[in-house]
Amino acid sequence: MATEERTQELVRGLYDAVVQMDEDTVSELSKAVVEEGVDAYYAVMHGLTAAMDKVGELYSSGEYFVPELLLSADALYAGLNVLRPHIKLGRDEKKKQVIIGTVEGDIHDIGKNLVRIMFEAAGWVVHDMGKDVTLSKFVEEQTRTHSDVIALSALMTTSMTAMPKVIAMIKAEDPGVAVMVGGAPLTRDIAIHYGADGYADNAGEAVREANEMLERVKK
Amino acid sequence: MRQEKMTSVERMDALLNGRSVDHVPRLSFILGFCAKNVGYPVASVYSDPEKSFLAQMLTREQYGYDSDPFYGYASFGGYEFGGEIKLPDGEYEQAPSHVRFAVEKKQDVEKLELPDVKTAGMLPQAMQFSRNQVANGIAPSVVVGGPFTIAGNICVVDTLCRWVVKEQEIVHRLLRLATDHVLDVARLWVETFGKGRVKMQIWEPLASNQIISPKHFEKLVLPYQAELHEKLLSIGIKHILCHICGEQNQNLPFWADIPMGDFGIISIGREVDISTAIKYFGDRYVVAGNIEPAMLQTGTPKEVYELCRQAIEKGKRAPKGFALMEGCEVPVNAPPYNIYTMKKAVDDFGWY
Repeated sequence: MATEERTQELVRGLYDAVVQMDEDTVSELSKAVVEEGVDAYYAVMHGLTAAMDKVGELYSSGEYFVPELLLSADALYAGLNVLRPHIKLGRDEKKKQVIIGTVEGDIHDIGKNLVRIMFEAAGWVVHDMGKDVTLSKFVEEQTRTHSDVIALSALMTTSMTAMPKVIAMIKAEDPGVAVMVGGAPLTRDIAIHYGADGYADNAGEAVREANEMLERVKK
Repeated sequence: MRQEKMTSVERMDALLNGRSVDHVPRLSFILGFCAKNVGYPVASVYSDPEKSFLAQMLTREQYGYDSDPFYGYASFGGYEFGGEIKLPDGEYEQAPSHVRFAVEKKQDVEKLELPDVKTAGMLPQAMQFSRNQVANGIAPSVVVGGPFTIAGNICVVDTLCRWVVKEQEIVHRLLRLATDHVLDVARLWVETFGKGRVKMQIWEPLASNQIISPKHFEKLVLPYQAELHEKLLSIGIKHILCHICGEQNQNLPFWADIPMGDFGIISIGREVDISTAIKYFGDRYVVAGNIEPAMLQTGTPKEVYELCRQAIEKGKRAPKGFALMEGCEVPVNAPPYNIYTMKKAVDDFGWY
């Protein structure tokens, strides 16, 4: 069993390595967490997840860009792959779920992938539908998963016009689900106009917006 | 409407050669909309040079903008280097998109070779389009991506992003190939149509700060982009229209170091303020922009008119000229009256 001092050393090391995009160090430290008997859940939450919060902040503030965010995410997943099997079951509260996808007619998925990473890092269960997703598939997936949030992405002015249709389709089946949208041509005004409950300007803001949106929708 | 003192040809010639114009020129970044406008499938603007040219000529006649029809697509380079693309065919599609990338892993880069520009990808259609331009008394033009965008079209963008940080020698190889490819394309057009006659458009969306940092722009994008433009000008391209797509604010000091010709045009997106662009480029190049395409699609005519008024008033006194233009491609489903509104705004606010 690791001492408190050693535990903090490992967790701090994981945090720094994710922020610094150092996948190898994250793997090594994660193995050490397991070998030295440190609580894997604690290491994930205070090391990996906290680090991705910081990466999200750095991305939102313009210090990190897509390459840095992707590489930090690679480091995050390297750690999760080692630590997840060691997280004791039954200790976690019910996880929030999000369905995410790029809408029909649009094959751009880099922004959608960044948002997916931030949700996964924050501990959400993510149902990633991919790109160019037929509108009815979102409705089907919601019927299957009863997710809390549906996050829709579009990069093209043409494909963004699918959003009001799919939002209406989703709400017709499940009025309680919160729908958020994002992507380069969108603005908060357009999101509201389309009937969305939320809008995130970038991946770093997506999870915070999702949580705030859920509070708004519940009221 | 006041009586125009120049034809579009005269206005564009004056704009590109530093002479005064009667009113702010109106350039249009419009492709799929034209096909739809005349009843063709959107894909025909890419697959059928004759229909593409005709649709664009008719749409220009209808809406009265000054720029010539052109052939181009943003995913340029992927197909040309051996990947596959799909033409737009669905309700929500507007441009060719990647189906398969030529490069999926590091080893694929070593096998890449420069394409034969006479036969590769959509270049035969682009050449046929240019022959149509010439046959109709229009200067031939050719549209390509910037080297970084071509690199991203050759491999998956996520992969390119990772290599930007971890495997820069691979990025350099891709950028070398992309730069040399564009030069091969330009040489073919110049050999076919003659020095000083070919207009070149370069679109660069992937080097935006929505993707990479200004630090990586300076290190990786700037050297190849600058080399490319210098060589293009040296082989007989007189005017380069460079569309610096998206959020490029932190890259502007670097773009200002890249030659565009005498005079070139810098086309900016809605993310770059016209006054800021004039500060960086206005004493050397024409600034064109930056009407938000999403506004053309979702805004009211009144909102579009006001946006155009503000743009014209900001840009009109630019030292080397200003042209009202969309900040990126006109959405295929934009309400037609919004496109007309851009001309109306020029008529009302654009006279010198």
